[in-house]
Amino acid sequence: MRDDVSRGGQTARLWISWLIVSALLGYGVVQTLITAAKLFTS
Amino acid sequence: MLSALDRRHTVAPPGYSRWLIPPAALAIHLCIGQVYATSVYKNSLIAHFDASQTAIGVIFSIAIVMLGLSAAVAGTWVEANGPRKAMFVSACFWAAGFLVGAAGIATKQLWLLYLGYGLLGGIGLGIGYISPVSTLIKWFPDRPGLATGLAIMGFGGGAMVASPLSRQLLSFYDPGYDPANAGSTASGSALVWLFLTLGVGYFLIMMFGVFNVRVPAPDWRPAGFDPARVAAKPMVTTANVSAANAVKTRSFWLLWVVLFCNVTAGIGILEQASPMIQDFFRSGGTSAVTVAAAGGFVGLLSLFNMAGRFVWSSTSDLIGRKPIYLMYLGVGMVLYALLALFGQTATALFVLLACVILSFYGGGFATVPAYLRDLFGTFEVGAIHGRLLTAWSAAGVAGPLIVNAFLDAQGKPGTLTAAAYRPALFTMVGVLAVGFIANLLIRPVPERFHEPADGRDDEGTGARKVGAERSGSR
Repeated sequence: MRDDVSRGGQTARLWISWLIVSALLGYGVVQTLITAAKLFTS
Repeated sequence: MLSALDRRHTVAPPGYSRWLIPPAALAIHLCIGQVYATSVYKNSLIAHFDASQTAIGVIFSIAIVMLGLSAAVAGTWVEANGPRKAMFVSACFWAAGFLVGAAGIATKQLWLLYLGYGLLGGIGLGIGYISPVSTLIKWFPDRPGLATGLAIMGFGGGAMVASPLSRQLLSFYDPGYDPANAGSTASGSALVWLFLTLGVGYFLIMMFGVFNVRVPAPDWRPAGFDPARVAAKPMVTTANVSAANAVKTRSFWLLWVVLFCNVTAGIGILEQASPMIQDFFRSGGTSAVTVAAAGGFVGLLSLFNMAGRFVWSSTSDLIGRKPIYLMYLGVGMVLYALLALFGQTATALFVLLACVILSFYGGGFATVPAYLRDLFGTFEVGAIHGRLLTAWSAAGVAGPLIVNAFLDAQGKPGTLTAAAYRPALFTMVGVLAVGFIANLLIRPVPERFHEPADGRDDEGTGARKVGAERSGSR
């Protein structure tokens, strides 16, 4: 497992990792904000 | 085959970016955080099984009790076997919980839901919750609060993802289901497909975390990190304490009380949030706050709960763990008192106070692993964290019990006003005061509990040398 880290591969993996969790979290935050807006509009 | 998941096979190669670890941890916590979204399909389960609120509510209770128990019991195993195997086992239990639960719904066997989502899923929850914590602390010795805050923020975010997703999936599988209508329930087959989809989807996302997680090499340190600076802080140990010894210390139990009090107070609001805001602004039998607006308030609380986990835990890296808990508990006392006395004067004031309180609740969860690291070192911090989480299970029972007992004595739901909440809120001020005093009494762990400085390591392979070096520098 102690293989060398390729710089390009790692950068891609970093981007993909953060994109996936950001997409999941972003979906949750946006949906919750839509719900939360009802506090001020209802 | 499982040996490929062992700690010794997951040591990061030179140059491995530590910023790959937080998304790996988030992949786990975002999935298991679903446990706080079970209310979305609760009514559908009640209709499908023709069961009582309590009979369905028990599924969630079993899962939370199993979370505390499995985190406490499996903590040492998680430390010994490393994060990758722990995350894999967690993913298997969590996904199996959904699949067995789906079988229970399909065959109308409620006990299979207890066994599946409750028991198996609960074990996955407990192991998954603690699996990335000690690894994150070892990768981020310079910013442990930020690292654990990021992961535990995911647990709060998990419910925010699962709630709308479950509603949308149920509508997709059962076009007759209307999530906007509180009286509408989804069919049994839609519930089965929801559980199957969530089980498979969560397993895949969690495997992404399993794939990316690595433990740092024993001699690894972040660029520019000077352990001597850590050693210079008064409440931060450079020694290591085992989980078995940690539970014998006064500081562990004081911190248990701190977490218990902080969670008890927060759950008091969280559990009652929707009816509470309506009751606070009720006059002449009708509330000025609509059901939809109350739902919006619950959503806002979720956001602050999640944001508090990251913001306050990161702040604790700068101001220290003890001071930030003094803030959670001390300022929390003032906010609870203000809520009880003046909460009913304006909706904006009520919302503001409740949101800050909930951010402290989340912050308390996220900061505690870093506090444990400061007190007991990195050696078995995950296992110690697991044992401390029994405070969460206890608070999960105590918080709602306190609030509901007071409210039951005040009148029937739908007729209560702000005055009915005052006894419960002032009780929470007292609970926070107990936690505040407990936090003040926390002291560094006496040397007799420290691990020997030579011949042992943090990782079970060689990292205890780091502990030995740090002990020396203390």
